[in-house]
Amino acid sequence: MPNKAAILTKDLTKHYGEVRALTDLNLTVQKDEVFGFLGPNGAGKTTAIRTLLDEIRPTAGQASIVGLDTHDKSVEIRRHIGYLPGDLALYPGLTGKDLLSYFANLRGGVDWSYVDLLAERLNADLSKKVGNLSSGNRQKIGLIQAFMSRPEVLIMDEPSTGLDPLVQREFQTILRELVAEGNTVFLSSHTLSEVQRVADRVGIIRNGKLITVETVSSLRSKAMRKVEFEFGSDADSSVFEGVAGVSNVAIEGRRIVLSFDGTMDVLLKAAMDHHDTVVDITTHEADLEDIFLTYYIDQSDEAGPAS
Amino acid sequence: MMRHSVFAKSIQDRWRGMFIASVALSVSFLFGMAVYKDIDISFYNDFPEAMQAMMGISEGAGVGSLAYGAIYGVYGALVLAVMALMAGAGSIAGEERNGTLGLLLGNPKSRSHLLISKTTALLLLLVLAIVVMGIAGRIVPVLLGVEVGGMETESLMLHLLINSIFYGMLATAIGAWTGNSGLASGVSAGVMIVGLLGSGLLPLVSGAEDFAKIFPWYYFDGSQPAVNGVDWGHIAVLAGASGLFFVVALFGVNRRDMKAQAVGLTLVDRLRANPLTQKVVERVPGTAKVSHIWVKTASEYQMLLIAAGYYMFLVGGVAMGPIYTAIDDTLLTLADQLPDTLMALAGGGDISTPEGYYSVETFGMMGPIIFLMITVTIGSRALAGEESKRTMGLLLANPISRRRVVIEKMAAMVVLTSVMGLLTFAGTLIGSLIGGLGMATENIAAVSLQVTLIGLTFGALALAISAATGQVKLAVFGSVGPALIFYLMNAFLPLSDSLAGYAKLSVFHYYSGGDPLVNGLNLGHAALLAGLTVVLVVAAVGLFDRRDLRQS
Repeated sequence: MPNKAAILTKDLTKHYGEVRALTDLNLTVQKDEVFGFLGPNGAGKTTAIRTLLDEIRPTAGQASIVGLDTHDKSVEIRRHIGYLPGDLALYPGLTGKDLLSYFANLRGGVDWSYVDLLAERLNADLSKKVGNLSSGNRQKIGLIQAFMSRPEVLIMDEPSTGLDPLVQREFQTILRELVAEGNTVFLSSHTLSEVQRVADRVGIIRNGKLITVETVSSLRSKAMRKVEFEFGSDADSSVFEGVAGVSNVAIEGRRIVLSFDGTMDVLLKAAMDHHDTVVDITTHEADLEDIFLTYYIDQSDEAGPAS
Repeated sequence: MMRHSVFAKSIQDRWRGMFIASVALSVSFLFGMAVYKDIDISFYNDFPEAMQAMMGISEGAGVGSLAYGAIYGVYGALVLAVMALMAGAGSIAGEERNGTLGLLLGNPKSRSHLLISKTTALLLLLVLAIVVMGIAGRIVPVLLGVEVGGMETESLMLHLLINSIFYGMLATAIGAWTGNSGLASGVSAGVMIVGLLGSGLLPLVSGAEDFAKIFPWYYFDGSQPAVNGVDWGHIAVLAGASGLFFVVALFGVNRRDMKAQAVGLTLVDRLRANPLTQKVVERVPGTAKVSHIWVKTASEYQMLLIAAGYYMFLVGGVAMGPIYTAIDDTLLTLADQLPDTLMALAGGGDISTPEGYYSVETFGMMGPIIFLMITVTIGSRALAGEESKRTMGLLLANPISRRRVVIEKMAAMVVLTSVMGLLTFAGTLIGSLIGGLGMATENIAAVSLQVTLIGLTFGALALAISAATGQVKLAVFGSVGPALIFYLMNAFLPLSDSLAGYAKLSVFHYYSGGDPLVNGLNLGHAALLAGLTVVLVVAAVGLFDRRDLRQS
């Protein structure tokens, strides 16, 4: 099992003096999956990623990538990975082409026609100096840089930062293609929707601790949603009575707002059965805090109140 | 609450450097005065007036005037002026370079407000530095029991203050107009160095005395304020010019478009932009400069290399030959009167000989300063610079070891410094030929090698500190500080018979102690410097390998 994992961490811990940036992280990322690492700002995502890259060294515990120890074999590991740091900074005085050439030279074995293809697909301008690009366009250079060696394992810290929706979609397509070729993607994000779109499994981290690892589908079904119905006539307060997963029902004239945790199917059926016309449905994704709340409640159910 | 103003933040950003500089100068002053007290200095009084002026000594010199003149009047003035011009160059252009200006101007503060706040902060810091030095200037003589009656300490301090403000304002004006902090500090430093040399050298050439007045430095020490008191006319010239520069800066900063993040244009960029040369350039240097870490690093310092190389080749090298011929007679008459102790101060050798002259003018103070400027800049930024600009993580995501990064960065330093060494060698050789000085080629090679090695030694020190801490500023102060102390040890300790032996503890002793331009290469000295460099690089590798990279 350990040898099969693309990324494996064991009790990985990083403390900066009193600050516990990361505590006992145990994570297994399988080959050819997209693993989303989800957490609010300052949760320890970047600390974990920088430890994997051997930029910083763990206070305790260890990690391996493709079966190699992240510290002892860090140079060897980096032949197998592509990396996009969070809050990307590039050499402002170099053009995109120079910058990619630089890393291609340091890495060796980069297929330049693939670079051109990536640039075309992401609509990146390689002829301009990086310092003169907007942050989204700079991010594209960073993405190409991470993709260009067709790495076995891609590690990306907040990769979608600054990208417009069109480019985001193309980026996700490229990710999917890479995974279809048998590669692995590990990406961090603080937005649930992004992770849900691309990832197979999601690890949720907060305050340096891994809260849970879920498949996206189970996360989705677990995820609380805010749903707003607008009916053709005044809403009947009994519509959602007894429907599993419904809570916080509020009625305002022809509108009902409620919280829902379950598959949409059930909810829609209940609405259709009890009313003539459903004029509009709006669903809002529960934000990250709601999900954390869900998990905290789960945890305290099992193990008593959290300390 | 204090942090809320631009003024307070500017103070906060800069006070340490200014404070350290003023304390270091005060300590040097103590050091210098202690040495002067210990030796017979009557010989200084035999120097011609112009010679004394060049060395920062007043006529009828006592221990006091020597210490004030040499430590405060020369080193103090240089250090303060450099601090001021760096702060001035950074005030607007520095924020543009860092991409923080837009953020700052997003607040309801005008550009003028910004410039005024930053300038006020700079002035206050300079005043504080002057006060620290002035207090030391009063206390040290009492501590050492030296009689300094008749010394105009406060007058010298006022001249020092106004002089440093002048360079600060000059750099501010250039930075505000162009948004290019490198250009601002480069031009201001150039004006300063040329002025220092010009106002020192021209009075030695009969008939050219008045030309010294075209240089700003003349208005700092031309009137010998430490002895003669404040020359209000000279003060007015410098203060007036500073005021003018400030007005120019105010105009400049309000006139132009602010840069989002300044990206310098290099020669290659310009060639690339030109359709005629584009194809050729794309093929050759475009890809060549990113072929290796060391090539890329070296290419980043091309402007520095051009400026410093130009100076060492043309001014320090070629021009000194003809200048020497022009002032030869004056110096010859002086030569007999100079005791051995002075020669140690001047960097060794007989100043009436071409070798001695070059040893003082080109290789005494300026050579090491310029070489260290290059090596310390590269050494301090090589690792810590990439960390503070957050590109190190990306660089190290490639399959290369940290050791290789350190070694390639050092290689870039060695290459650039070697080019500087070759330019110095070639310039000095040509200067010797033009002036008909007949200096031995192998000795010119020896001194050029030595100045290269002393540069590399302190560059490697900066690299090691940079590797250990990831802090650019620490690496700069941590290498320039010891360099200054070692330099002064080597310059002053030999003046005292009882302390002369301790000069061997100074790294600079192994640079100039063997008088390479006269005696040729001292292999032991060269090997020691080279060995020290290697040890420091090895230390850098070890230190960089074991620590966490900084995130920002």
